Amino acid sequence: MTKTKKKYRRNMFSWILLTPSLLFMGIFLILPFLLLLILSFHDVDKYMNTLSTFSLSQYIEVFTSPFYLGTIRSTLWVALLTTVICIVLAYPAAYLLVRSPNQGTRTMFYILLVSPLLTSVVIRTFAWIVILAQNGLVNEVLMKLHLINQPLTLLWNMNAVIIAYVQVMLPFAVLPIATSLGEIAPNLRQASMILGAGRLRTFVKVTLPLTIPGMISGAVIVFSLAAGSYITPLLVGGRLQPFLPLSIYQQVMQVSNLPLGAAMSLTLLLFVGIVVGVLGWILKRWEGRMNG
Amino acid sequence: MSNITIQQVSREFGANTALKQVNLEVREGEFFSLLGPSGCGKTTLLNIIAGFLEPTTGEVLIGGREVTDLPPYRRDIGMVFQNYALFPHLSVFENVAYGLKVRKMPRADIRKRVEESLASVRLESFAARMPHQLSGGQQQRVAIARALAIKPKVLLLDEPLSNLDAKLRKEMQSELRSLQQSVGITTVLVTHDQEEALSLSDRIGILGNGELQQLGSPLDVYRRPANRFVAEFIGQVNLIEAKAVSASGSPAGVLTYQTAQYRLASGQPLSLSAASDPALTGKESVLFMLRPERIQLSPEHASEGTNQTEIQITDVSYAGNFLRIAGTLPGGGELVIQAPDPSFTVLPEPGQTLYARWAPEDLVPLV
Ligand SMILES: Nc1ncnc2c1ncn2[C@@H]1O[C@H](COP(=O)(O)OP(=O)(O)OP(=O)(O)O)[C@@H](O)[C@H]1O
Ligand SMILES: [Mg+2]
Repeated sequence: MTKTKKKYRRNMFSWILLTPSLLFMGIFLILPFLLLLILSFHDVDKYMNTLSTFSLSQYIEVFTSPFYLGTIRSTLWVALLTTVICIVLAYPAAYLLVRSPNQGTRTMFYILLVSPLLTSVVIRTFAWIVILAQNGLVNEVLMKLHLINQPLTLLWNMNAVIIAYVQVMLPFAVLPIATSLGEIAPNLRQASMILGAGRLRTFVKVTLPLTIPGMISGAVIVFSLAAGSYITPLLVGGRLQPFLPLSIYQQVMQVSNLPLGAAMSLTLLLFVGIVVGVLGWILKRWEGRMNG
Repeated sequence: MSNITIQQVSREFGANTALKQVNLEVREGEFFSLLGPSGCGKTTLLNIIAGFLEPTTGEVLIGGREVTDLPPYRRDIGMVFQNYALFPHLSVFENVAYGLKVRKMPRADIRKRVEESLASVRLESFAARMPHQLSGGQQQRVAIARALAIKPKVLLLDEPLSNLDAKLRKEMQSELRSLQQSVGITTVLVTHDQEEALSLSDRIGILGNGELQQLGSPLDVYRRPANRFVAEFIGQVNLIEAKAVSASGSPAGVLTYQTAQYRLASGQPLSLSAASDPALTGKESVLFMLRPERIQLSPEHASEGTNQTEIQITDVSYAGNFLRIAGTLPGGGELVIQAPDPSFTVLPEPGQTLYARWAPEDLVPLV
């Protein structure tokens, strides 16, 4: 058999292996996306029936209404804040996870970290209601300690959303950071120290830069999840929060304005795509610098 | 420049003892090698000198100052690691400048020092490159430049050349040696390559099972190994257990022995003559070392006497500049012989009979 023929066969084989997942992606991701795209350019009448005419009216609505612009802004802001807090909190956790001298301790940390992912996000978020409610844990304790006279309103605002988000998404930031920490050759830290750098300097100049890929991967996951979830904001923030996924949910399920919902979805996708694209570009530049 | 003193250093890992009561001094300006088989504790000892590991007991002095409790970043040591350990996110220049920036040297001085250091390893034009854009040998040279740029008191090298191919390794060895001599820095090289240790070092410390087995010049450790461990580790050897016999008529300064390990055609034990040596006085049974290259082969029997025997060749391997020949004595016992390439026009073949002999001085007693 000639070389090209062999290569052709190998290629064919790969394609056959790929077919099921490609089909799945095609039917359940690409196709719905295209339908959503088409839908977003349709007009609606005043009873919210989708008309067969096409226009940019839905996008004009999204990008001119001060309410929707504010919603976009606060959605991105909340996602950004969640991402930053997650990365900052995840770093020490990842450090502990990787650098614990004892294998048993490491395994325990892993289980602690991953086990919340085994319960549904709804249950995890409900826990925050129990903690933050008017008669919840935090208020009860503060009242008993006579630090406050009136229960504080801790729920139904964006702070509650961010708190719940951080808790829910922390593992997604810890794992990639831990991975890239684990990949640093131990003698790079030794090299830094023998050259005279103390622990802090070694961390800032060697460890931290080498975990940038892990931090970016974590940020991409957390940011996308934070900008795109609606269960958590709905449960702890309430349905009135200016939050794009909530607005989409309302347009589709309550107002039944499907084209507007579609346009908002694609707008959200666009912004998340831009952020992820920029982060990905930084990652690629950084890795190119290090590995060619 | 400073000497390094290691006093009674032991190190345990749980139940496992990696170093036992090691005492040694590396002299000022000396090129010192730590040689030993894998797992004997070389890296452990080097890491104790560098401060990455604490000794369980004992102390380390650099330039007469006790450093046992100092962290690595206060010890002023240059170190080169086995896999180079260049910072992958920093350019060659930044790698070499790293230790100088830590020392808060003015910018202009840093530039000058980095250029000097890179020039000393002939990599002036590579300053702007990233480590991944260099070959293994170039990376190793950058690592050496980085270690020397801080003008450390001592230089430690942990198997710095083991990842390089044979030819490059030879080049780097001589480069390393001449660099060390021009800088005059006290250097400790860890290696398990005996040839590297022999050809580069002023002195060698041989570690085995966590203990210092011998400390001496390359000539000492090769020609007068302190014990069986060293003899077997450095080069190939024939080890011969022999018993003293009182022989009349042997020349002055020569002692006679017999070994049951080697037997002649008649079944008689082989007679040996060894040069008299303080280590031999009053000893009944002795272990002798006979280096393969000390044995001479000839096609004819020279004469009767000791230190010679007929052997039947069992194996010949040709290594270019020498041949390694194995042969057995007619009554039993195997000898390994190394002969220089020019000594045979036609290579000997298995089955052939040759005659081996050696001088009394070639039998080195091991204690
Ligand atoms: N961190 C550690 N924990 C437990 N045992 C260790 C540790 N480091 C080394 N050892 C043990 O100590 C002994 C000496 O190890 P060391 O790394 O010093 O050997 P080495 O002479 O450098 O060997 P090599 O030539 O293979 O590098 C070995 O038996 C090793 O298993
Ligand atoms: Mg080692």
